[in-house]
Amino acid sequence: MEALARSLVNFVPVLGGVPLWTITLLVMVASAAVVLVFALTFEGVGSLVLRKVAGDIQARIGPNRVGPNGMLQFLADGVKLVLKEDIIPARADRLLFRLAPYFVFVGSFAAFVVVPFGVGLIAADLNIGIYYVMAVTSLVVVGILLAGWSSNNKWALLGGMRAAAQIVSYEIPVGMALIPAVLVAGSLSLQAIVKSQGGLFGIFGWNLFHDPFAFFSFLLYFTAAQAETNQTPFDLPEAESELVSGYNVEYSGIRFGLFFLAEFGDMFIVAALATACFLGGWNVPFVSVAALPPVWGNLLSLGVFLGKAFTMVLIMMWVRWTLPRLRVDQLMRMSWKYMVPLTFVNLLGVSLWLLLFHGKGIPQMIASLFG
Amino acid sequence: MGLKEYLNDIMEAVVTTVKGMRITAAYGVDPKEEVTLQYPEERWEVPERFRGFLHNDIKVCTSCTMCVKVCPVDCISLEAVRGADKKMVLAFYDINIGRCMYCGLCVEACPVKSLKHTGGYERASVDRGELILHFVHEDAAEIKARVARQVAEAAAKAAEAQAASRAAEAPAAAKSPEAPPADPKAAKGEHRE
Amino acid sequence: MTGMTARGEALRTQEMTINMGPQHPSTHGVLRVILTTDGEVVTRAVPDVGYLHRGLEKIGERVTYAQFMPFTDRLDYLAAMNCNCAWAWAVEKLAKIEVPERAEFLRVIVAELNRISSHLIAFGSFTADMGAFTPFLYAIRERERVNDLFEMICGNRLTYNYARIGGVSGDAPPGFLEKTKEFLDYFEPKIDEYNNLISYNKIFVHRLANVAVIPAEEAVAYGMTGPNLRGSGVPFDLRRDEPYSVYPKFDFKVCVGTGERGKLGDCFDRYMVRINEMRESVKIVRQALAQIPEGPVMAKVPRVFKPPAGETYFRSECPRGETGIYVVSDGSANPFRLKIRTGSFVTMNIFEKVTKGLMIADIVAVIGSFDIILPEIDR
Repeated sequence: MEALARSLVNFVPVLGGVPLWTITLLVMVASAAVVLVFALTFEGVGSLVLRKVAGDIQARIGPNRVGPNGMLQFLADGVKLVLKEDIIPARADRLLFRLAPYFVFVGSFAAFVVVPFGVGLIAADLNIGIYYVMAVTSLVVVGILLAGWSSNNKWALLGGMRAAAQIVSYEIPVGMALIPAVLVAGSLSLQAIVKSQGGLFGIFGWNLFHDPFAFFSFLLYFTAAQAETNQTPFDLPEAESELVSGYNVEYSGIRFGLFFLAEFGDMFIVAALATACFLGGWNVPFVSVAALPPVWGNLLSLGVFLGKAFTMVLIMMWVRWTLPRLRVDQLMRMSWKYMVPLTFVNLLGVSLWLLLFHGKGIPQMIASLFG
Repeated sequence: MGLKEYLNDIMEAVVTTVKGMRITAAYGVDPKEEVTLQYPEERWEVPERFRGFLHNDIKVCTSCTMCVKVCPVDCISLEAVRGADKKMVLAFYDINIGRCMYCGLCVEACPVKSLKHTGGYERASVDRGELILHFVHEDAAEIKARVARQVAEAAAKAAEAQAASRAAEAPAAAKSPEAPPADPKAAKGEHRE
Repeated sequence: MTGMTARGEALRTQEMTINMGPQHPSTHGVLRVILTTDGEVVTRAVPDVGYLHRGLEKIGERVTYAQFMPFTDRLDYLAAMNCNCAWAWAVEKLAKIEVPERAEFLRVIVAELNRISSHLIAFGSFTADMGAFTPFLYAIRERERVNDLFEMICGNRLTYNYARIGGVSGDAPPGFLEKTKEFLDYFEPKIDEYNNLISYNKIFVHRLANVAVIPAEEAVAYGMTGPNLRGSGVPFDLRRDEPYSVYPKFDFKVCVGTGERGKLGDCFDRYMVRINEMRESVKIVRQALAQIPEGPVMAKVPRVFKPPAGETYFRSECPRGETGIYVVSDGSANPFRLKIRTGSFVTMNIFEKVTKGLMIADIVAVIGSFDIILPEIDR
């Protein structure tokens, strides 16, 4: 951030008189605003796409009344959520009830900070990027638990309890499934992980093709991450057919909207992490982004990254509209008896592979065969 | 649980999931599968036997009250007076479509087929009064008064004619002419709620 | 469930009482279940019925025999044709009316079509309860086609009021029988699609297998009927075992649970019985379409219909079990006494017993697998 501020001062000499920390702060606020705007836009568009995909899959049309072909539906939804009465149940714990949505939203939104959208498009390239994502998304569980507890509603409480158990259980397989990417890149920074996948035409360098274990860890990550972010078929905390709406049953208006946004934010974070760690991130196939002028390089890489991430989001929606929901004990069993051991085995496999083949993946070996 | 079962379990989960997703994907990419009818713009063709709102053709109706008798929920009410030509004249014929359950028994019972189902099905209203269909558009009291007047006139005319004919035939006959009942005897089926 | 706190005191946990319903998305109506739970585990689930009581049986005593027909639509609104026909058959049995054969064939056709559409809703809402919303809409889509057919033959899409005492309200309009055949051709492959999409899905199977197992003798002891009884492996079907109407003319299989994915009589068996019964219904309708004779569709029934004094009990196989109609006549135009026995209501007896020790999510599965419908429970 400070470096960016410095370069800004160099670029615009008028700013020379302003103390550097002010500019740094402004740059920080500006980049946060950009990320926030992106997150909100994605969440809006994501909700629309989700409903359109649902419509297509379910042999119906989906929203088509607001704007051309229903394109503005998300605006109508947003306006509706903002304008709705904000009801707080009579015997709810008012402070916690008000606080909970922010925890959830912040937990999901803060993760956007380290998402590498393009060559230089990253709000903060933390050297502990993945670790940071894992840490801040855990904040969601606090929010959900608070929401469930403070609502003074037994269904909400059950939803909160389920969420806590679920998110805590699935954090382990999610983390373990991401570590292979870290091992290959040798760094926790997401930007470094993406860069490490740049070789071999920008496709065959992907961690996905690195070795069979990496491929499996992608699948495992994708499954476990859906569970960690409460997506169907693991949407037990919400489970509208069992718990009515789970932890957010008492929420209305914009407070509900924050839960809603966080859900879509989580969806994108999962897709973005999968893209960055396994699908080559912003690396453009057959084009060396670094060789292009910065503006074009950034735009192109941004496009590629979003394309990959949105494809992952679409797959998540597709899964969502296909599968039924697990029961809570089955969910736990799946985590502890299937996901956790498998991810550990996978991790072992990747480590051994890296040890035996000196960090080379299958495509690299093939490439070296051909010189 | 052996390792084989363990792996089989995982395989089965993956295979069945993929199977299901293939079907949903097939629907997802096929635009022709959309079956939604865009209702206010598109409408489905109402079949011939469609049991929509009831309509009574009061020109044909004989006020026999079969419909009133057969209606399980008493949503039809009518009142008729006997007119000058001995036919029943409807004073009012109302169907409360807020109460009607569109069973169609009245239509089947109607001997002259004046009562029919229309194809109509849209009549949302914020006022329950609007849900009462009136098939006689004049005021009931006015009709009754008019019919009574006509009957009285007819009776007077008949009496006159009778008197005239009697006077012509047998002027000595002293018996006064008996007027037909001016008062409507048959006010049948009063079911106004 | 007691543990110890850090200070060594016994930790006391409390059971939680939750009201599931009467407003709940998965109770299929206004069923209220009072759950006593220990966390997610249900220690007791007491169904509280009666929120939809309309006094249909009393209404039946206040209206004439013919006038009660539209009320039977409201008995089980997802299978109104079956209820219509059951009432007609019961009154015809009471008054010993010979019904023209074509009318009987039409009744069987619409009753079996309605069985398909009712089982479709059972399948669809069950999968929706299990969290998969898509099959529900596919089921609704197919049901719409059945509704189109019914609208064509009787003029309504939900409350059909098609059967009449002594026949049916109208002969099949031109094109109806062909369209029915078209529908069957369209529908039959869809059943395989459902099986591929969800029936054998691993998650779905796991949710249903070994949940709420009802052994055969228990199912019989509790008076369960219909698909729920057959799900426990008892091959009892009134259409075959106590044949009425023209059912003896048709060749069909009585589907029973086989315990293919768990113990015999679990939720999955009950579910599969319905899926398989749709196939059998298709078979019956096909045969009926092939054999339907020409002729009148209404027997001679006096306009003011007064059956002789007496009483009768008639039971027929409805999609949700046996619908028995006990009707007493005193020779007047109204029934003297009317009692309706419905499958859903009797099935609810065993609810408390089988749900002990299940999880909250399983309660939803049990309700879905029983395929209860509230107007039948409360009447």
